[in-house]
Amino acid sequence: MAVNLNTPGCEIKERRLGSITGYFGTIGDMTRKGCEGCLKNKKRCFTTVSQCSHYEALGQLAAVDDAVIIDHAPVGCSAGQVCFNRIFNLNVSKMIGERGRNFRIMSTDIKESDTVFGGLAKLRKTIRKAYDRYHPSQIYVVTSCVSAIIGEDANSVVEEMQEELGIPIGFAASEGIKSKIWASGYDDYSHAVARTILKDSDERENIINYVGFSPLGKEYIEGFFERLGYKMNFLTARAKTEDYERASKAVASFGQCGAQSSYLCGALEKRFGVKYFQSHFPYGGIGFERFFREVGEYLGKQDEVEEIIREEREKYADRLERVREQLKGKKVFIALGATFAYEYTRIAGELGLGVIHTVAYHYDPRLDNITDERVAAAVDAIESGLENVSTSVNDSQQMETLLTMRNLEKPDVVISRVHETAPWSMKIGIPAVTGSASLNLVGYRALVEFGERIVEELKNKNFVTKLGKNFKSPFTEEYEQLKQLHFLQGGKEDVE
Amino acid sequence: MSNKEENRKQNCGSEQQRVGCALGGIYTALAINNVLPVLHSGPGCQLQSGTVLAKLNGGQNAYPYQETIIPCTDFSEADVIFGGSERFRKVIASSMKYYKTDLIVAVDGCTAEIVGDDIKEVAESFEGSDVPVIYATLPGFKGNNLYGHSQVLKAIIDQFLDGPVEKVEKQVNVWGIVPFYDATWQGTLVGIEKLLKDLGFKPNIIYGRNKGIEEVKKIPQAEWNLLLSPWLDLDIVKKLEKKYQTPFLHFDHVPSGPTETTKLIRAIAEFADLDKEFVEDYIRDGEEEYYYYISRQLASINEGINLPKTFSLIGSAAAAVSTVRFMVNDLGFVPKKVYIVENVPEKHEEAVRNALYDLELEDKDFELVFTDDGGLPAAELLQEETPGEVILGSTWDEVLARDLNATFFPISVPIGPGLIGRKSYFGYTGGVDFFVDFYTRLLEGGRTSI
Repeated sequence: MAVNLNTPGCEIKERRLGSITGYFGTIGDMTRKGCEGCLKNKKRCFTTVSQCSHYEALGQLAAVDDAVIIDHAPVGCSAGQVCFNRIFNLNVSKMIGERGRNFRIMSTDIKESDTVFGGLAKLRKTIRKAYDRYHPSQIYVVTSCVSAIIGEDANSVVEEMQEELGIPIGFAASEGIKSKIWASGYDDYSHAVARTILKDSDERENIINYVGFSPLGKEYIEGFFERLGYKMNFLTARAKTEDYERASKAVASFGQCGAQSSYLCGALEKRFGVKYFQSHFPYGGIGFERFFREVGEYLGKQDEVEEIIREEREKYADRLERVREQLKGKKVFIALGATFAYEYTRIAGELGLGVIHTVAYHYDPRLDNITDERVAAAVDAIESGLENVSTSVNDSQQMETLLTMRNLEKPDVVISRVHETAPWSMKIGIPAVTGSASLNLVGYRALVEFGERIVEELKNKNFVTKLGKNFKSPFTEEYEQLKQLHFLQGGKEDVE
Repeated sequence: MSNKEENRKQNCGSEQQRVGCALGGIYTALAINNVLPVLHSGPGCQLQSGTVLAKLNGGQNAYPYQETIIPCTDFSEADVIFGGSERFRKVIASSMKYYKTDLIVAVDGCTAEIVGDDIKEVAESFEGSDVPVIYATLPGFKGNNLYGHSQVLKAIIDQFLDGPVEKVEKQVNVWGIVPFYDATWQGTLVGIEKLLKDLGFKPNIIYGRNKGIEEVKKIPQAEWNLLLSPWLDLDIVKKLEKKYQTPFLHFDHVPSGPTETTKLIRAIAEFADLDKEFVEDYIRDGEEEYYYYISRQLASINEGINLPKTFSLIGSAAAAVSTVRFMVNDLGFVPKKVYIVENVPEKHEEAVRNALYDLELEDKDFELVFTDDGGLPAAELLQEETPGEVILGSTWDEVLARDLNATFFPISVPIGPGLIGRKSYFGYTGGVDFFVDFYTRLLEGGRTSI
């Protein structure tokens, strides 16, 4: 199964890519099974709150140009967007020197009576209200658990209203119950924009698409592409309709990670033949070299790439040496999203850090590229010797992460980003540093800076040490004594 | 209803949500130490309400049950087909084993309600277990987090509290402050507790630091209940009056600054028949303290600063009444327009209106708008000739204030990512803190006269 832009909704990651949210073992075992198509998901016997695809789809779509989003849902299903309004909207606007405005997400406010009598009339009314208030160039209708369970045919209203208003109206079937993986919401966004604003083109230009959350850190990598004779086109939050329209003219695309970027890159490849690079990410030194060599070969710019690599390597060699010396013998615990978990695992190795365990929130054994190149984690398992690194996939279940962390060797530092691994590790006295999910992680510069950040972190641990001493566990002895590392059914590997 | 009013209440097409859905009611449970909500809802439901009620509302998180460890069935497609009651039962049973908890509140959201999972039956099946289990149905299609808040409190009163008990002299329960939703709830409750103690009472507060199941159990034995809000928790104190014959004093807001704080103290003194001389001494001291601090800052706020005089406000009913009273009665400002954006039930609109216009102001020609559409204020105010030089509201309104070239000051949920700590604008000293924070914004905003 692959990207299919002919249907109103997209296939979820589980079915399209064989993605999983439950695994415990080693990177080698997991990636091998993933490549062979026999990686099985494991269910949990105990779960805590997580995230949903609806939340993510809204946040991505609302940051598209001047779009207005219609949330066909009870009013609370867009309440959390106040957060993404800040991250993907106001902050990114500032980054790109724009004045910025608030997200425009209108709820159809499905009430109890609507669950009985239907809410399509409200959907029409809300679309008209959105148009009257903002006169946007495009509207997206996003469905929810409630509208899906009561069987609303929202897409028919979308088609009808598109005709009435004469502007493109996209549709994203993004009900939270559809997929166990919240990152499926990124696919819903990608599917919707791909069907609504991507444009055919016969021309090719020297453009490389970047698909990601934000253009944060773009100046650095833009410089390298410029030396190869290419300009970057950013399909990130606050991208303009023109940027999406231009994307089909590009020679290649790459993304910030597999979870967020794969579907849109895959759609561009499938529909317009824009090459999708996904086997290597330009993160850290090794990733940077492999990524640019792969790109350089495709573009016929091998010599220029070798020069860039030589320069960058030399520029940071001394600092890197020093950092490695300082971090010798230190060990980390990593908990991040599907791609960054394994990118940071390799980066930790590059810095000379031992990796005790890596938690990924989900895992995609393949991505939406039409070629048969392996995903980055699978490549790394072989090329970077990560075969035997202990890993789990856990749907950001912090109870599981905590249990795993406490049952294994105590790490010197935890690498995570969001989903609250950091506050929980700090509560039990373990320092945490934040990983990046942006172009700020590109190259030797980022590698060295990240290493130096850890060195500084370890110089003064007073805050977490004292926090740890004052920790009052909300958990019972029974939980604290659990030997199993996770709540996966039929997979109770005990720690010896 | 006029056309315009109709338009404002068209019950769909609301944007910029300043409330969570009913499931956000779990934050009321989370504010009571060691009361654990267990969810039968989608995996993202908590996050949606938690973001607006906690994270982006003063950078709050729950404690000790920080959000990511809240048990949840993570309702999925399979549960639609096969039903999720059994999985819910298992998650509750595991929660009892894994968490130190005094009370479990089993709640469900939209999806479980639509497919008809019977959480009452699930909760009741734990009868006799070590940890009591009560339930509350919290589907978002039934109401917002204030509905959820009420449902959770009613569940506690109906399912957890025993029948009538002996009253304890001087004990007073405090209501009307919705934890998390009112970002300043913790600091405010500490302030109210101190005031009541100073006046000789035994305050009983169920939310916040060191407040838990013991305080909850003491609810029936209070001599009276103190309600500090325009409409919220009125149903709760009435319920307690019926079940435990506890009378209540309804003061229509949490007072900030000297004028309203003094009114509250006098109202309490009259209701509880306190010694007049003692109370007036207390008031004199409080007012003196307020004016001492204000007087020490007067010079700098009147030194070449182009001070504004007018404001518009967008917020919850509670925040609106507290803030407008202080802005008008003590700071001498003139309101232009007030938007109440929390879906006040129609039967309470009159009370909110009365509370809001009860001001020491001759010309009360400002407009009050009830709406659930957070996008409406911007749509309207940007068209106004005099929209107000200050916008008091939530973090959603920062952009509006910028576009109006007005000063923004956060007073209502979601106030933004800035950390709240123990801040409160309650009482005499709270008035000082409001004054300080507010004028700091004005001064740092560069409103110079040259």
